[in-house]
Amino acid sequence: MKDFFSNTWKHRAHVVMALPAFLILLFIMYVPMSGLIMAFKNFDYSKGIFGSDWVGLGNFEFLIKSKDTFLSMTRNTVLYYLLFTVVGTVLNVTIAICIDQLAFKKMGKTMQTLMIIPVFISYAAVQFIVFAFIDSRTGLINHLLGTRTRFYSSAGYWPWILLIVKIWKDTGYGSVLYMSVLAGIDTALYEAADIDGANKWQQIRHITIPSLIPMITVMLLLSVGNVMRSDTGLFYQVTRNNGALYSTTQVIDSYVLNQILHSSNFGYTAAASFFQSVVGLLLMLLANFTVRRIEPEGALF
Amino acid sequence: MSTITAKNPAHKMKISTGRKKIGPGQIILLLCVLLFTVFCFAPVLLVFISAFTDEMWINQNGFSFLPGKWSMDGMNSVLRYGSQLLTSYGITILITVVGTFGGLLVMSMYAYSISRPHFKLARFLSIFLLIPMLFNGGQLAGYVVFTSWYGLKDSLLLLILPLMVTTMNVIILRTYIANSIPGELMEAATIDGAGDYRTFFQITLPLLKPSLAAVGFMMATAYWNDWQNALIYITTNSKKPLQLLLINIQKSIEFLLNNNNVPAAARAAMGDTIPQYSSTMATVIVVIGPIMVIYPFFQKYFIKGLTVGSVKG
Repeated sequence: MKDFFSNTWKHRAHVVMALPAFLILLFIMYVPMSGLIMAFKNFDYSKGIFGSDWVGLGNFEFLIKSKDTFLSMTRNTVLYYLLFTVVGTVLNVTIAICIDQLAFKKMGKTMQTLMIIPVFISYAAVQFIVFAFIDSRTGLINHLLGTRTRFYSSAGYWPWILLIVKIWKDTGYGSVLYMSVLAGIDTALYEAADIDGANKWQQIRHITIPSLIPMITVMLLLSVGNVMRSDTGLFYQVTRNNGALYSTTQVIDSYVLNQILHSSNFGYTAAASFFQSVVGLLLMLLANFTVRRIEPEGALF
Repeated sequence: MSTITAKNPAHKMKISTGRKKIGPGQIILLLCVLLFTVFCFAPVLLVFISAFTDEMWINQNGFSFLPGKWSMDGMNSVLRYGSQLLTSYGITILITVVGTFGGLLVMSMYAYSISRPHFKLARFLSIFLLIPMLFNGGQLAGYVVFTSWYGLKDSLLLLILPLMVTTMNVIILRTYIANSIPGELMEAATIDGAGDYRTFFQITLPLLKPSLAAVGFMMATAYWNDWQNALIYITTNSKKPLQLLLINIQKSIEFLLNNNNVPAAARAAMGDTIPQYSSTMATVIVVIGPIMVIYPFFQKYFIKGLTVGSVKG
């Protein structure tokens, strides 16, 4: 112990240098964790977090009783996560392999540059672009099809619309990571396969894809902890926070944001938030545990 | 996972041999990638085209890639936001610059500290860094704590601090220090009598530049595009960043559309239509423009930065 203190004192410059980021993490990330106890309280803003009365599991009972809202937003959150993760990963990997295999390297680079652009457009701006495509009167899609579909009041279309927007926004950027792995594959492997008479497909199946697996594992693992969290902008901005669409577009994050903006139902919202944080933690630990057993190299900690 | 070097000489050889055999497969592949590129870029192009299309024309014929009538009115109507637009630009630039440079400094110092081999507290600091990635209080707890405990309401600090230090970025910087900057260099500096601060600022920080450029660009876009904190916390016009201005524009259009009580004079002033097509697209250009301009210069850095950071933490 004494050793530890003298070591720390000797390296006090490191302590000083770590301090600013340490304090920001402490006040921005750690202190709000204590706010989670609101889930067990009848929160009253004037009494504060600690001053409010305890209600035990009352908020959670309410949560379970209000089946429709809670179940539908949890279902939406999880289903969108699965949809985006599966489709996203497949597309990211596919695009990365396609560009990597392309013989026209210069064109590949240029096309990649253009593909990445959407990731830098904020959802506050994206929603105007989506509007230009799907508005019932002036939208491009209705115009091309000669229809007057009212997308903004038909909930059924939205899983597809959101999926397309998500693919459009994130695929170019998502593939960059996999491309950098592909660039690192030893070309001797391909040459050897060539000599052994393997065709392109066989090379992709037996060399390219296996070498991407560790990266895919890490990316999936990192995302598992966020099952309960969503790209809030996608669900809040792109849908224009339209109440008529909530049955297919309301996720936990956008619900919480709405409650904050309306300053309502804090106890109930805190219970949903608590559920979100705890489930996220458990899934993260579970995923890491699983990966460590199967492939220790890919585990995060 | 091992570090991946982007510039692999063997890879370059593959390019030169690949040139020789361009079969029909390559053409099909090219068409597929091209198709996807069009899918990604066409909506961006539509923004630019619509911004210069005549408002009435869109009102009658809808959005189009080949408009029948061009006009500068959209761009001119952006000027109608006048001083508010300038203020919002200033606020966005302020939080982006302060947040990015401040964040880079504190994060690289933290990354440097936890990568020192003989520093025993480093283990604790690494775990302290990792936990927020696994568990956090969520939006609501953050909102209540920031506003009631810290008393921060309508404050620019709430736009800057929450995005300043992220676990992933510190890991990227730490990995770069550990893998790409020789430890001997820093040891040698210490032996030559340089203190810890001097070693960091004169040896480590300059060598960290590629990684700083990558992380910095990603941070800058995160700050530039942040609408959520602004929507929750900012109420004064003089503190509204660009993204919040965009949201407000959309809300006021919606209000006008849903409200029949808008005074006739006001309607007449707007030429009997609510300026919602070309002028909003012009505003979108004004908001996303700077990133589009800067991005090509940073592309190689952030691709490299992502690569180096893709090693487990």
